[in-house]
Amino acid sequence: MEIVAGQKRGRALSVWAVLLLMLSIGSAAPVAASASVLSGAAARQSEEGATQVGVDERLGGKLPLDLTFRDETGRTVRLGDLITGPTIILPVYYGCTNVCNYMQGGLARVLPEIKNKPGTDYRILSLSIDETEGPELAAKYQKMYLSSIKASVPPGAWHFLTGDAASIKKFTDAAGYRFQRRGRDFMHPVASFVVAGDGMIVRYLYGTSFLAKDLTLALVEARQGRIGTTIRKVVGYCFSFDPASKSYEFNLLRVSATVILLCCGSFFAFLVLTGKKGKRKPVGEK
Amino acid sequence: MSVAQSNKPVAASFWNDSGKKGIGSWIFSTDHKRIGLLYLYSVLGFFLVGVVLGLLLRIELMAPGRTIMGAATYNALFTVHGVVMIFLFIIPGIPASFGNLVMPIQIGARDVAFPKLNLFSWWLYAIGAVIVLTSLFSGGGAPDTGWTFYVPFSARTGTNVSLAVFGVFVLGFSSILTGINFVTTIHRLRAEGMNWGRLPLFVWSLYATAWVQILATPIIAITLVLVIAERVLGTGLFDPGRGGDPIMFQHLFWIYSHPAVYIMILPAMGVISEIIPVFSRKPIFGYKMIAFSSIAIAGAGSLVWGHHMYTSGMSDTAVMVFSFLTFIVAIPSAIKVFNWITTLYKGSISLEAPMLFALSFILLFSIGGLSGLILGAAGTDVHVHDTHFVVGHFHYVMFGGTGFAFFGAAHYWLPKFYGRRYREKPAIVGWALMFVGFNMTYWTMQVLGMRGMPRRYYDYLPEFANLNLVATVGSWILATGLIIVVVNLWRGLFWGEPFGVNPWNGATLEWTVATPPPTENFEEDPVVTHAPYDFNKGVGIP
Repeated sequence: MEIVAGQKRGRALSVWAVLLLMLSIGSAAPVAASASVLSGAAARQSEEGATQVGVDERLGGKLPLDLTFRDETGRTVRLGDLITGPTIILPVYYGCTNVCNYMQGGLARVLPEIKNKPGTDYRILSLSIDETEGPELAAKYQKMYLSSIKASVPPGAWHFLTGDAASIKKFTDAAGYRFQRRGRDFMHPVASFVVAGDGMIVRYLYGTSFLAKDLTLALVEARQGRIGTTIRKVVGYCFSFDPASKSYEFNLLRVSATVILLCCGSFFAFLVLTGKKGKRKPVGEK
Repeated sequence: MSVAQSNKPVAASFWNDSGKKGIGSWIFSTDHKRIGLLYLYSVLGFFLVGVVLGLLLRIELMAPGRTIMGAATYNALFTVHGVVMIFLFIIPGIPASFGNLVMPIQIGARDVAFPKLNLFSWWLYAIGAVIVLTSLFSGGGAPDTGWTFYVPFSARTGTNVSLAVFGVFVLGFSSILTGINFVTTIHRLRAEGMNWGRLPLFVWSLYATAWVQILATPIIAITLVLVIAERVLGTGLFDPGRGGDPIMFQHLFWIYSHPAVYIMILPAMGVISEIIPVFSRKPIFGYKMIAFSSIAIAGAGSLVWGHHMYTSGMSDTAVMVFSFLTFIVAIPSAIKVFNWITTLYKGSISLEAPMLFALSFILLFSIGGLSGLILGAAGTDVHVHDTHFVVGHFHYVMFGGTGFAFFGAAHYWLPKFYGRRYREKPAIVGWALMFVGFNMTYWTMQVLGMRGMPRRYYDYLPEFANLNLVATVGSWILATGLIIVVVNLWRGLFWGEPFGVNPWNGATLEWTVATPPPTENFEEDPVVTHAPYDFNKGVGIP
């Protein structure tokens, strides 16, 4: 009975109010969370820069495709002949007793979960950063990893490369991958990256374990829309790269922050633009 | 309520016009004045609960070692004291109670834009409060995390954090709905001639507050849901062991909770902006700047949350940016203080109870604001972080500021709505005791903090014993003053002398309507022709 403005307008406003409430509840919190990136990223990056070993991300940079390496059969191959589409590159050394195995094993484990077909949709290259290793050792590791995968992967889908020190250096410099020899072993970052068919680096992936969605998205990006369907493009847009945790995460935060600000903005605009009030009945009338 | 019978209303006042009687005519009423009074009684009730808890905490700290309780009880008590005072008293305190009572009349409206939503807000508040109270006595017992619910402790403690947090979540809805309601009301229901330049400053402050409520409160709601998810589902969002980030919780929490400080203080500033000109018999100095500074505080205040986190491990760049922004917020606050003081200059000052509360607000808020700058500066903050200095500081702002303004508003406006007034002498004695006790308690805390006494411990080094005793005695003086003030108000409003239409000679619209106001506030819709503090043309001049 106390609704003093016109009924219709009151109802329209109520709808607005409820809509605004729902949207704000659902989405505003994350406005904040994007700020949390402020917290750790800078510190972590400076820690990495302090050592001789690390990754300087060269996103968008191109790998020198005319470098030559030897594949697991001993054949000399041009990098450009292997990188013809989306390619996952793992800088490792085969004599590594530690994380290189975990990283390659982690990739082998996740491959069956990726819908794209290895060999046809993308290729994997393990590249030894140890110039003393040769095709023999590479062939042994190829056999080991391919047989460990619970899906059929053609041998041409995952090459195990070796090369001379100069080629390795040129390659890792181009990728911003800094490592150091320590006796027979190496200090090196645990990182891999995904490149497009023209050798452009599209993503760095960190750590020894891979998530299927991370890889799939990286491959979608690498494909640059040639194979990716429309839905994948949308997904590729909504997911972004979080430099602090170095892994993909669904950026609900930014999307919803935009939604809430737009809602509040349009609520404000609605109030301002639609005038002050309806005609009122005389006091006392219900 | 028996009130209706004990009053002798001139016109059909809102006390007895609904045609219904009993509790149902109150808890289902959509009249903004009845809802305002519902809020008033609720928040005042919780305030008294919080006061008792605070007194117990002070008694525990009266002497080193265990005095009346152990560490676990102390942890639970300061948490409950914080939760009750912040979420149940001070956030809805002025905007929901006095905002509801006064704001629609001040803009010449018959009610708020959504009266039913308004009632629903109060119900949500009541339900949220019941849930919070239930959490204290059920499950693993009262939460012991502090009112900030910081992870990882809040995700792991066996106490009843989930339920308490859910209660606060519900309270958040109430706050958002009130915000939407007030914004719409102020935009849509202003009387003819009541343009933005003629809005009383209390309305301006509520307007700024309401936007903060709409924008910031959803964030705390979601954050609290995430805490529950962390506890119940083990999502690991804030657990670094599972790729989560505990600092993210602090960001999310303070993104709401710092603006919430302005939800608490802005309406208080609005109250002061009403009282000062009326009791100085002078138009307010710098009307536009005071109105603008409310908006500026709401805006800038939303960007400074990181100053609660200087020692949390976030990047130095972020620390410097937040420190800088914190200093920016001091500017609009200072604008208000200077304008109030300039209004007093050469005014015909009448030192009645509302004015005494308003004047003490200016002093106490200024002390709190200046000690806030010590905390806002990243360097000095490291020294006093998590000490009693912080406790002293925010009590100066929240209690010395908002608390004193709340009682100022009660003395200023409540007689209008009850039709009877309190006695002046006990009000002044009560105020004086409160003022002395307050400074004894919280100034001492600031000194203790500077000397290194940490907060949130039930025990302390013997060297802090004397000052702690002073603070505890101060809290007793403060409580005595409070009791005198509340009892005097209670007695006066129900059984005191009749209160006329406009004894204070105010020039805003609420002083033009009958005492107590009728249900739809005005006999005829008013037409506003002058500024709110234009006492020469003021409608209030008899």
